[in-house]
Amino acid sequence: MPHHDAAVIRSRAPVFLIVSLVLVAAALLGVAVGAVPVPPTALVRLLLHRWGIGGVGAPERRDIVILLLLRLPRVVAAILVGSSLAVCGVVMQGLFRNPMASPEILGLSAGGSLGAVIAIASGLAAQAAFAIPGFTILGALVSATCIYLLSSTRGTTSLLYIVIAGLAMSSLFGGLTSALLLFSNQYQVSQFVFWTMGGLDGRGWQHILVSAPIVVPGIVVLGLFTRELNLFTLGEQEALALGMPVELTKRVLLAICAVVTGVAISVGGPIGFVGLLVPHLMRFLVGPDHRVLLPISALGGAAFLVICDLVGRVLAPPFEIRVGIITAVIGSPYLLGLIVRIQRRDAVRAR
Amino acid sequence: MSAAILQARGLSWGTGGVTIVNRVDFSVARGELVGVIGPNGAGKTTLLRLMAGILMPSAGDVELEGRSVPSMDPRSRARRIAFMTQDIAQVFPFTVMEIVLMGRYPHVARLRPETPEDHERARHMLSYVGMGPLEERTFNGLSGGERQLVLFAKALAQDTDVLLLDEPSSSLDIHHEDRVFSMAQELAREGRAVAASVHNLAVAAHYCSRLVLLEKGRVAREGPPELVLRSDILDRVYGTRTVVAPSLATGSLTVSVVPEGRQPRGTRVHLIGGAGSAVNLTRELTRRGCALSGGIAHEQDSDEKLWRSLGVPLRAVGAFARISDEEVQAASSLVEQADLTILCVFPVGVGNVGNLRLAARARRLLVLQPGPEEAPRVLLTPEARALFNEICSRAAVLPYEGILAAVQDAASG
Repeated sequence: MPHHDAAVIRSRAPVFLIVSLVLVAAALLGVAVGAVPVPPTALVRLLLHRWGIGGVGAPERRDIVILLLLRLPRVVAAILVGSSLAVCGVVMQGLFRNPMASPEILGLSAGGSLGAVIAIASGLAAQAAFAIPGFTILGALVSATCIYLLSSTRGTTSLLYIVIAGLAMSSLFGGLTSALLLFSNQYQVSQFVFWTMGGLDGRGWQHILVSAPIVVPGIVVLGLFTRELNLFTLGEQEALALGMPVELTKRVLLAICAVVTGVAISVGGPIGFVGLLVPHLMRFLVGPDHRVLLPISALGGAAFLVICDLVGRVLAPPFEIRVGIITAVIGSPYLLGLIVRIQRRDAVRAR
Repeated sequence: MSAAILQARGLSWGTGGVTIVNRVDFSVARGELVGVIGPNGAGKTTLLRLMAGILMPSAGDVELEGRSVPSMDPRSRARRIAFMTQDIAQVFPFTVMEIVLMGRYPHVARLRPETPEDHERARHMLSYVGMGPLEERTFNGLSGGERQLVLFAKALAQDTDVLLLDEPSSSLDIHHEDRVFSMAQELAREGRAVAASVHNLAVAAHYCSRLVLLEKGRVAREGPPELVLRSDILDRVYGTRTVVAPSLATGSLTVSVVPEGRQPRGTRVHLIGGAGSAVNLTRELTRRGCALSGGIAHEQDSDEKLWRSLGVPLRAVGAFARISDEEVQAASSLVEQADLTILCVFPVGVGNVGNLRLAARARRLLVLQPGPEEAPRVLLTPEARALFNEICSRAAVLPYEGILAAVQDAASG
């Protein structure tokens, strides 16, 4: 293995700056681009006008409606969901010392989706605004519990088996989700796609008001455990020897991951590959230290999803390609490439 | 022995219905380097993990100065006891320095970065183990031995009173093995308590002040190396034949395994040697399955010691004693029974000229010729010279390889 990463790790501050700039640029574009063109400056003008700075006049009324009620909440939703999934990916990869772990691969996303569909099919979703997020959290928690029990059985559960178990759970929950949707009378093709692939269309402030108060503190709390995540990569025995309460920490982190993932899915559906791909890209840029990796992945995940959503909107107008489809198209080849790379590395190590 | 800092009583642990550690009493005191030895699967690693508080005993207790280790708060436990594992499967590209800094975890305040002192300690320990120049390298890219030294530095960075090392030199060359154990000794002298599981018994004997020999999860024997490393008990525990002898170079005990007594394949060879001249042939011919006999040797001579340890039938006289005609007579039965007799290269004087007389009685005699880089044969008396010339006229004088070939011929013919 080449020893190039040390030099890369030293260049952390510029990476933060660049990723932040990309996020801001993507967000401005995300607000500007769509069926009706609104200049990117409109948002800035609107803000300046609202704050009464520099005597800036208000943009057109039509633009204000499009900006504030359609595009801005959608971009904010992309930021929240992208950050959540990427940060949960970082946490799960560290927790299980496995570069292939992520909320969707370990079945948390599928569990959340199933929860949402149960809420819809049972009619609860129509009665209470909190029913869908409540059930997505519950579904993700069920998956997380299964994974926890599997990974904590005595003896050394191979990390590969955890991934396979996650995939098995994903298939099971995915199948149940499809079945429920097919038999429910609220069945619509768009909903089917939403709860199997995810999307951000039609996300409004009501989604953000419900999700942000859970997701933002959740990410912050996960960020308090970065040193523990570093220790997890040494192996649980080592972490224990260094004085970390391993089982407790693992339970807390998995539970928070399930809650954050669950809420993110209630907003965007089970958008795939963000939690797998973003931590990888960021690790490549800043190194594996979670104290740096986790915050940069929060930024990177947000930028990635805003961009993917943007691409979906501009690729084939007037149609929108769902963001989950875009991430899947980018993510699947990446996952294959990752497997090949890991195989090669293991082959080198086995020599 | 001073009072133990870490003490276990009646310690047991098992998994899947198999008891790995069975009612073991174990202790380490400050200033001690205790070696835990025993065959594979004897429970060495498990015992150390139990002592470190990272495995919960199914029975018995471990106490650190009177406090029960399993019920201690993990963080305060890790400030007192460090455990060094053999290797870790790190999948992410952490640098060596980052790995060593993780050893500071129990000392670093929550939500605070490591202090300059933490960095200082980590850097110091890395250079202490000789890995200073590699601090920016990726841990995964190191060799197994380098990784082990880094893990040693990490355990030292933890700055604990008790150090438990699980086969700290399993991937190391002899130089680094010596370094690690010398450092462990030094740490013990500083007043820390150190225990290490060790596979290499000579290393254990050389560095450890006390040994604990485990057999199937129980303590088979415990004490200073001279009392634990005895062939009788090692043979039973390891299920092989061993020879324990002080090393000529260091004076500490070495343990060697005697080649399994393969059924000798016919050829009987008698070796006439002295002063260690027959060592190489003895080893090689034993390996080839010859039935050896030896003599006439002098007691305490290295040939005699080797023959005795291998159970080779021999005749011997007291150290420096003159070989009498009676002795030659008594030994001649060995020579006469042998298919081949080999006369090795050793100095012949008044005391051992009897060995030349013995050689003269051989059914078939091979005389070993000194190699071009070896000292020539020394014959100190006129009698010895005359006798030797007479013998050679009736014997095959061959170099080492020629002798081996002749033995081979005799075996197949």
